[in-house]
Amino acid sequence: MNRPQVVWTVTTKELLDFVRDWRTLAAMLLVPLILFPIIFVAVPMFLQGEAEELGEYSVSVHLVIDQDADMPNELLDLLNSSSVIVESVEANFDRNISLSNHSTFREDASLSIRNGVLDAVLLLRTGSGNATENWEYVIFSDSTDELSREARTRLLNQIDIWEDEIIDTTLSQNQLQRDDVYDPVTWDGTVGDADIATTGEQAAFTFALFVPFIISLWTATSAVQPSIDLTAGERERGTLEALLTTPIARSDLMWGKWLAVAIIASASVLLQLVGLFVAIRFLAAGILTPPTVSIVGWILFVVTILLFAIFVVAVEMAMAMRARSVKEAGSTLGPMVILFIGPALFAQFVNMENIEAWWFIAPIFNICLGMRASLLGDVSYIHAILWMGSSLLYALVATGWASRQFNREDLVESIS
Amino acid sequence: MNSPLLIVDGVSKNFGDIAALSDVSIQLNKGEIVGLVGGNGAGKTTLLRLLCGVYRPTNGSVRFVDDGENKPVDEVRGRLGVVPESTGLYSRLTAWENIRYHTRIHGRDDEKSWNRTHRFAKSLDIVDELHRPTRGFSRGMRQKIALIRAIAHGPDLLLLDEPTAGLDVTSARKVRDLVRQLGDDGGTVIYSTHMLSEAQRICDRIIILHNGTVRADGSPNELLQMTSTIDLEDAYVSLTSDVARSNPIDKESTVSSILLGIFSRKNRTNDRGEDE
Repeated sequence: MNRPQVVWTVTTKELLDFVRDWRTLAAMLLVPLILFPIIFVAVPMFLQGEAEELGEYSVSVHLVIDQDADMPNELLDLLNSSSVIVESVEANFDRNISLSNHSTFREDASLSIRNGVLDAVLLLRTGSGNATENWEYVIFSDSTDELSREARTRLLNQIDIWEDEIIDTTLSQNQLQRDDVYDPVTWDGTVGDADIATTGEQAAFTFALFVPFIISLWTATSAVQPSIDLTAGERERGTLEALLTTPIARSDLMWGKWLAVAIIASASVLLQLVGLFVAIRFLAAGILTPPTVSIVGWILFVVTILLFAIFVVAVEMAMAMRARSVKEAGSTLGPMVILFIGPALFAQFVNMENIEAWWFIAPIFNICLGMRASLLGDVSYIHAILWMGSSLLYALVATGWASRQFNREDLVESIS
Repeated sequence: MNSPLLIVDGVSKNFGDIAALSDVSIQLNKGEIVGLVGGNGAGKTTLLRLLCGVYRPTNGSVRFVDDGENKPVDEVRGRLGVVPESTGLYSRLTAWENIRYHTRIHGRDDEKSWNRTHRFAKSLDIVDELHRPTRGFSRGMRQKIALIRAIAHGPDLLLLDEPTAGLDVTSARKVRDLVRQLGDDGGTVIYSTHMLSEAQRICDRIIILHNGTVRADGSPNELLQMTSTIDLEDAYVSLTSDVARSNPIDKESTVSSILLGIFSRKNRTNDRGEDE
């Protein structure tokens, strides 16, 4: 049996073992497949549903109005139309104190809101100014209470509408148009039409900001569990010793296992991309525009992910193989993933304009920036050579290190 | 029958400051079933791991004789079959898939491997279990599958580390019968055990290992003559107790030596019905 056949035998066995474990299968393949659909479709739908549910509630508000002021019926009508139940009372406000500093009203409002009697309290008094009507107001509410927050939002919305009406009335009395006052300098035409980037390019720009982070994050995390299982796990279960008595070379064993983990991690990332595609193309069609990325861009993107997968899997397998137990491997690889996540997170905010070349050599940054450049279609040959070359170098060093770990004599020892 | 198959020459193995084996020299001949007997910590597993190339000796050499030529074990691992102490079965794979994994690594054809596997499984009465995942297998079933896995590719030398540990009486007998059958068919076996009675039943030769050194190497009768005793238990205690006495902290070895004999005292007849 030649070496590739032996390596493939190990790989197929590991994959068979993997697909028999439905929990790992679900975590590694199902979760990435549904992750983006959840982010793009389910989460907005859920948030919208929750907001609508909250909108169906009526809220109780006390309107405390200056005894000298006329009741603003326009505002009361607006509040009633948005399911705000208003009970109004008259009060005598001290003109020398701002409304929010009226401690008596504040304490009363606090007590009523905390006891659930009211959701918010609106203090209103006439103000000084040259408009047809001038008012001063303050809303007492509890920002940690959902209904109180909702009451505040509805009050603010209706007060805004009411204010617009007052402005329009004032302007018309002075024979002015709203646009003349508020918008004397205007954009002529549709703003979006003036962007020379296509909607697809704009989508690619947006994607380039977060997709590399999520992909690198998932690549790093998805390889952890199989890396541990295939090394420290096998060592702890005692299956490795039997395997080492066979004629398989340890380097072939390492490559076979590496290939299996790489396939699992790549499949996981690929399914994540499929999920992303389905979410954009079908589930969120009309909301999200599919990104426009050139064929070369996609090829560079995929090759970059593959190089990253080679590197990550080799490092994680070597670390797991160094550990003397599954527990030790888990406690080592868990924090180590942060070393991958940290640079991936920062790479999102690196300014790509006139970017220094060394960014494309720095580990992890090179991958994330490479993916960003690929998606943006802003690839310089020098940068591409740097990130591909350095990624390949890191991958080779990592696999060499992993190979050394597999040649350790104490491979069959385990503390458990 | 007496042509050498494996030569262990002055092998020592240290783990840091601990000497697990010291200057071990043995020769294994073709067609022999050799019992490797010793208490816990005697160095049996370490020696077996050295013989199959999992460990490398600190000093000395382990050589496999192939057509009159000495070869390092790494070059001939394909001709070995090993049942390690832990059996090492993948719980999510079926018994057959476990066996097939190893036979494929040995470069054997699946069909031929299956035929051999089926034949051995029949003699160990475990055919029905071949297509079941090994999760939930009893210790005995695991031992049997591990044994089949070790012999399915047709090795020249079989290394067994406590192959009947945890087996019931009937299963242990079947395993011993199979090993004996392999020996009768010309196979060579190293059978590690801490039970003298078991070694006495099936082995042509017994090597007593104690505190990492070979204390005796010979047929059961030779061991008796060597120690002027009338049973192997006494012979074993005689061969190992001197060191235990000379080392006051090695009380465990003395206790284990005594315990070892308990199993063999009642049995003076080996599996072939020969009186010792």
